[in-house]
Amino acid sequence: MEEQKEISFRIYRYNPHFDKKPYYDNIRITLEKGITVLRALNFIKENIDSKLTFRAFCQAGICGSCGLKINGVSKLACMTQVFKELEDSKEENVILIEPLNNFTIMRDLVVDMDPLVEKLKYYYSWVNPKMPVHELGKKEYLISEEKFQEYDQATDCILCASCVSECLMMEVNPNYISPAVLLKSYRMNVDERDSMQKTRLKKVTSDGGVWDCTHCYKCVEHCVKNIDIMKGIQGLRNSGMKTVSKRSEGAKHAKAFITDIKRKGRLVEFTLITRTLGFIKPIFMLPMMIKMLLRRRVPPPSFMMSEIPRIEKVRKIFRKLKKKNF
Amino acid sequence: MKYAYFISCINESMTKELDIAFEKWKTDLGIELVKLEEGTCCGGSNLDYVSPKHCWTINARNIALAEKMDLDLVTSCNTCLLSLRHAKHDLDTKEGLKEQVNELLAKDNLEYTGKAQIKHLLWVLNEDFGLDTLARKIKTPLKDLKIAPFYGCHILRPSHLMGVDDPNAPSSLHQLIETLGAQTVPYASANKCCGFHTLLVAEEESLNIAANALEDGIRSGADYIVTPCPLCHTSLDLYQNKALKSRKNLPKNSIPILHLTQLVGLALGYSKKELGIDKHMIL
Ligand code: SF4
Ligand code: SF4
Ligand code: FES
Repeated sequence: MEEQKEISFRIYRYNPHFDKKPYYDNIRITLEKGITVLRALNFIKENIDSKLTFRAFCQAGICGSCGLKINGVSKLACMTQVFKELEDSKEENVILIEPLNNFTIMRDLVVDMDPLVEKLKYYYSWVNPKMPVHELGKKEYLISEEKFQEYDQATDCILCASCVSECLMMEVNPNYISPAVLLKSYRMNVDERDSMQKTRLKKVTSDGGVWDCTHCYKCVEHCVKNIDIMKGIQGLRNSGMKTVSKRSEGAKHAKAFITDIKRKGRLVEFTLITRTLGFIKPIFMLPMMIKMLLRRRVPPPSFMMSEIPRIEKVRKIFRKLKKKNF
Repeated sequence: MKYAYFISCINESMTKELDIAFEKWKTDLGIELVKLEEGTCCGGSNLDYVSPKHCWTINARNIALAEKMDLDLVTSCNTCLLSLRHAKHDLDTKEGLKEQVNELLAKDNLEYTGKAQIKHLLWVLNEDFGLDTLARKIKTPLKDLKIAPFYGCHILRPSHLMGVDDPNAPSSLHQLIETLGAQTVPYASANKCCGFHTLLVAEEESLNIAANALEDGIRSGADYIVTPCPLCHTSLDLYQNKALKSRKNLPKNSIPILHLTQLVGLALGYSKKELGIDKHMIL
């Protein structure tokens, strides 16, 4: 006989037109092993409560429409096994179902994706072909295997927005570009056929863009397609630093690391602030610095920092690295 | 138990008390450290994109210095942990990378082989030393303390590089705190971000990230937030007043932040002063 269990689905419910505030429904159903969360939700909608509202389509992890928070974590309902999920449940035999974070809720489990779509547009998330218009569709546009490898993985993104829901920078700044759009920008920017790298990069490296990512790795951890989103984020920063974003605070801050390792072996934190922000902005930090001084928490200035022993060897390695490519 | 100890830049400058506290009790537990004096900065999760080749090479060198002494490498900073483990992962898996890097290291009589493990101090206490053994060493059980554990990002994520805790429900720090006799409080920020890495380039947003964690900690009723990362400590302690300015109607105005090494020190009988707790901004 198939393994069966009675399971409580604790489902977030909210219809902004009628409900004063959101609430949770507890729906108990008996399920067999092997059922996905999406099939369980479909069963509830068909047999218990036809008003329950959620999005789904392909049932195969392709369309990206069924992103939800299951037991607090953003994932695809159609790719999540109910019995597997029970292993992580805080309460025995209870599965918590909520809409994605960082979006406005339209009804129950459906969120408003428009702001994400707007961002995709704003950051030119498409290939703008270099090929003259009259040749388009008539000629093949070949790309090298090597170049394709750079963004092959990024093309797996199904825009399910799980990463957007998990992003901690999004939580405090809804206008932040978001990991999914960063990944798309990277994917378009390394495409040989594209003609607007610079324009796109300018936008991506301005306020609310790639420099604002805190490296919390939440997006990487929760991407439903296991895409290394950080590779895209860092790829954009790297091209930004070399071109349109040379003098940005983010670029200056990052470059300080390499300069200091060469100079001292360690980071010279004393001047990191002024090297990143210049001399005007840090004036507002003075009260904090005075307090730091009183508690003797001020980092030593460069001249008081000794170099690491045998730093000459590190410098020599750096000199050799200049000519090496790997 | 002997380890190579990675020198984290911030522990040499802004969070000296982390190592001061560690120095106090390490011999009580029979932990012997050889400081990696010749080691360089790990790149602080910035060098990866400025120049990957530099990042691999300096961290291969850092690890090779430990390997030369036949020791595993221990760090007490989350971001150093990530940089070192990330480099190790690439060196061990990317074809030809190790050989290319070793060509350069040979000039310094060093070789990266991949034999040294990279560990966080928290893991050393939990796994190598063992919590049962630690429990027997306790002099002052912290039984009246309520603690909000704050893991920080880079000891949890990306989990394929870490593999100790479940990043959605981490437990190693909880276990350590409970072994020391204190109580852990449930709160939503245990595995969230402190905002440190963008404090200079996106101050307002980063302070808000820190404030979310601080507010959660305060509302949980905890006496202290404890973190295994000096960068999280900096964001949550040094910037706390600034961060909490945006929050109103909190049950109390501030919450002190302790380094992992200080909490262990308290349980092993050292005073707050000896452990440098009086050097924090929030007392
Ligand atoms: S690493 Fe950056 S983009 Fe990804 S979740 Fe964190 S802040 Fe957002
Ligand atoms: S990057 Fe991954 S998690 Fe984010 S939208 Fe694309 S597939 Fe979904
Ligand atoms: S229904 Fe299409 S991805 Fe889940």
